[in-house]
Amino acid sequence: MNYDCLIIGGGISGLTCGIKCVSEGLRCGILSSGMSALHFSSGSIDLYGYHTNRKIVYQPLDYIERLIIPEGRHPYSKCGIDMIREGISFFSETLEKEGLVLYHNNDYNHFHVSTMGTVKPTYLSQRSVFNDSIKEGFKKRSKIAILNFSGFRDFYPELAAENLRKNSLFSLFDIITGEIELPLFRRTEKNPHEFRSMDIARIFDSEKYLPGIANQIVNASGGALFVGLPAFIGINNFTRIYQRLSELTGMLIYEIPTLPPSILGMRIDDALKSRFAALGGEFIAGDTVNGGEIVNGVLDHIHTENHGSTRLRSKFFVLSSGSFFSRGLVSEFNMIREPVFNLKVAASEDRREWYSPSFFQKESHPFLEYGVVTNNTLNPEDTQGATVENLFCTGAILPHYNPIREGCGGGVAISTGYFAAKKIIEGCRS
Amino acid sequence: MNYIETQAIIIGGGATGAGTLRDLTLRGINSVLIEKNDIASGTTGRNHGLLHSGARYAVKDLESATECIAENRILKKIARHCVEDTGGLFVTLPEDDPSYHGKLLASCKFAGIPAHELSTKEALALEPNLNPDILSAIRVPDGTIDPFRLASANVLDSTERGGRIFTHCDVKSLIKEGSAVKGVQCYDRVKGMDFEIRGDIVVNAAGVWGQHICGLAGVELKMFPSKGSMVIIDYRINNIVVNRCRVPADGDIIVPGDTVSIIGTTSKKIEYNEIERLIVDDDEIEVLLADGEKLIPHVSKTRVLRAYCGVRPLVDISGDIKGRDISRGIVLVDHEERDSTGGFITIAGGKLMTYRLMAEMTANLVAKKLKVKKKCSTHRIPLPGSEKKIQPMKQIKKFTGIPGSVTGSTLYRHGQRVHNILTKDRKNYGLICECEMVTAGEIEYALKNLNVKDIVDLRRRTRIGMGPCQGELCSYRAAGLFVEFEAAGAKDANIMLKDFLEERWKGIKPILWGDSLRETEFTYWIYQGLFGLGDIPEGDGKK
Repeated sequence: MNYDCLIIGGGISGLTCGIKCVSEGLRCGILSSGMSALHFSSGSIDLYGYHTNRKIVYQPLDYIERLIIPEGRHPYSKCGIDMIREGISFFSETLEKEGLVLYHNNDYNHFHVSTMGTVKPTYLSQRSVFNDSIKEGFKKRSKIAILNFSGFRDFYPELAAENLRKNSLFSLFDIITGEIELPLFRRTEKNPHEFRSMDIARIFDSEKYLPGIANQIVNASGGALFVGLPAFIGINNFTRIYQRLSELTGMLIYEIPTLPPSILGMRIDDALKSRFAALGGEFIAGDTVNGGEIVNGVLDHIHTENHGSTRLRSKFFVLSSGSFFSRGLVSEFNMIREPVFNLKVAASEDRREWYSPSFFQKESHPFLEYGVVTNNTLNPEDTQGATVENLFCTGAILPHYNPIREGCGGGVAISTGYFAAKKIIEGCRS
Repeated sequence: MNYIETQAIIIGGGATGAGTLRDLTLRGINSVLIEKNDIASGTTGRNHGLLHSGARYAVKDLESATECIAENRILKKIARHCVEDTGGLFVTLPEDDPSYHGKLLASCKFAGIPAHELSTKEALALEPNLNPDILSAIRVPDGTIDPFRLASANVLDSTERGGRIFTHCDVKSLIKEGSAVKGVQCYDRVKGMDFEIRGDIVVNAAGVWGQHICGLAGVELKMFPSKGSMVIIDYRINNIVVNRCRVPADGDIIVPGDTVSIIGTTSKKIEYNEIERLIVDDDEIEVLLADGEKLIPHVSKTRVLRAYCGVRPLVDISGDIKGRDISRGIVLVDHEERDSTGGFITIAGGKLMTYRLMAEMTANLVAKKLKVKKKCSTHRIPLPGSEKKIQPMKQIKKFTGIPGSVTGSTLYRHGQRVHNILTKDRKNYGLICECEMVTAGEIEYALKNLNVKDIVDLRRRTRIGMGPCQGELCSYRAAGLFVEFEAAGAKDANIMLKDFLEERWKGIKPILWGDSLRETEFTYWIYQGLFGLGDIPEGDGKK
């Protein structure tokens, strides 16, 4: 098997890279060992959200250009501002081709509402998510109804309403809570393992229940103009279902990201995979890469769990295997390593330096900033310290940024994935 | 200011305090318990949960050994749902002094502890995960005991009979009239309110914190706090308590408990002023894991879930500050006799195993002072949940259609009280904590009946958040249920969710590597990345 580009890791970074490569005619495969971080994401793409003091960043691209890129070590510094802009546009266009239109507020961040009713700055969101169109409600004192599906245990409207009421952005609104109920689905609750966001999304996917649901929403929302629902308004047929539900209720319906599984994230995951396949990419699911052979600074081949002794060869490779949760990085008693190629990592050797004293420490946790060290074109170093020229590292495996404290996980994943694709395309053509 | 009048006031809601409350209530003595945190939140809940047979003490401390075996037999009857009769083994490793084996057998015989020698083959058949290189084994009637359930059942029995309890309340000062203690001044941290309790006798059952309480009474009692650390292994890797057959030392026991196994215990002297900010040290973790692995080789391949520590309340009875005369035994001080301070009693020392005996001794003294004739009955009357032999699981399943996994877990935690919880109600089908199989119905029961003030308390009553994920999904759901079942307002629920995750973090930090670090990244991603919980403004500092 010979590829132009073989990508290890099928998350948002690997898929962005893969789609760019196949769209330029490269033979490209993606090896994925399981569900990616998209399945527990907010489904919005954060570019840059917070200053170091947790103050909100309003113009992320401007902030990145002025303050992050000159810093030098941040993955954004390696991409450069043009590549970031290009990558984000490419990502938006890709999803749009799959019918998933993303909202953005020109060069500004907008704010989406979380399960806890906190308001988070983000750059790209699905149109069903709270965004600046809520401003229409500012004109007159409007009502927002936050509703739950009765029996759904992963959302409590009261907790969200409490924090939302305290937020100055929403001070002009009257916020109420309520429940919608469909007796038909009572029995689903009997199995304690069911009735997660996915189960409800499937109910919404079937159009025949929509009029009943719409009726319930209208009745439960006490004349509100805006309705907040946990994000489960359909998965396979989302765009159409959302449109129909808006028409049937005559209200502005917003989706609030839930506990995992994230339906909002899964829609993006589905769209990206669908686009990759449509362009002729080969997505190999459920396989784990065990290792590979690096000879004179070139990764010759890799081998995997399912392919046994078969050597998978490619001109270029991408390692977008994520951070600890996705096993892109592995930690032991006093050591952090990259498990596939044993690449050089940036991490403290003293375990007590990996974390902060309190869980919600403002400075966050150092371990989130550990990862594989690369040069300016995202190529890592092998055990001997030699640069591996045909291997690129992208996304959460990279060090020197904190996706949560900075609010930049999605942006880094997309930009670095796109940047690697450009380098690979360049390499294949030369 | 609120004012309460009673006969006896007990300070401290550990096993001893809870046991004393129950004993006094059963004797018809009007009693109130005040606890600064939660039931079983101090030393009671910070040990390995071993139901001692007494064998561990048999060689060196005959008195403790005989107390243990007597209480062991009582608890197996009155606290069935808190106890698991797993049995225990004492195994000799090749590096251990082989003569200890014989000494232990002889001492057990002398103390009246049934101890039987097993062939190594028999021992391995009983506990297949055991190190196959053991030289000899002795079987003893060790078991496991859940300290949270035990203390809570004692409180429940008492409150159902008229006893009262106030948790999350500080004792600010003792009320004295002349030289005698007449009551306590308290502050309720949940309600943000002062109140006063007056009574004839104040019992200081505050364990290691008893030194401070004595100070408030103007008498001196010196504690020698000793820290003991343990690690929790994810998965129950043994079904029988495994002891190392040697002179007691660090890392010589692995106790199975519920869904996990616990490796115990270290022993480090600490200063009294350190007891509020205990941390498990790295060298303790290394010793526990290394020695645990010698007993059960699986240890090195299993995920470590948490590390925690408690303080042994050792008392210096002579007042000698050098601490030569430290007792591990039970210390009951009548301050009227010792210090001419009337109406004040301290019960200290001892161990979880002897909590009932300590309560009995204390209640005897209180009864004598109040001239109440009624004798102790705590050794006869079963705790709530342990009334009868437990009903087979199938019967409950047939009635409700609730899956066996849920029924079994609820039965295991609440004994006979399962009938108050698992009714044919849709709430009971909604699983809140998947790791420990806790339903919304069980949470409602705990919130309404078991003195639960926050999610940390709820964990002690139901095991919510104690499994492999350490509260990843269930803690948010629990916060929501506090509001749904009207046990808290949304604002307090937000704060208690944050507090709960911080509390879980304390036990995860020391073992943050491997899967624990992965899990932490995921939890942090959800609660900070997705929810922004850390950005929610702090409360008004009430709690």
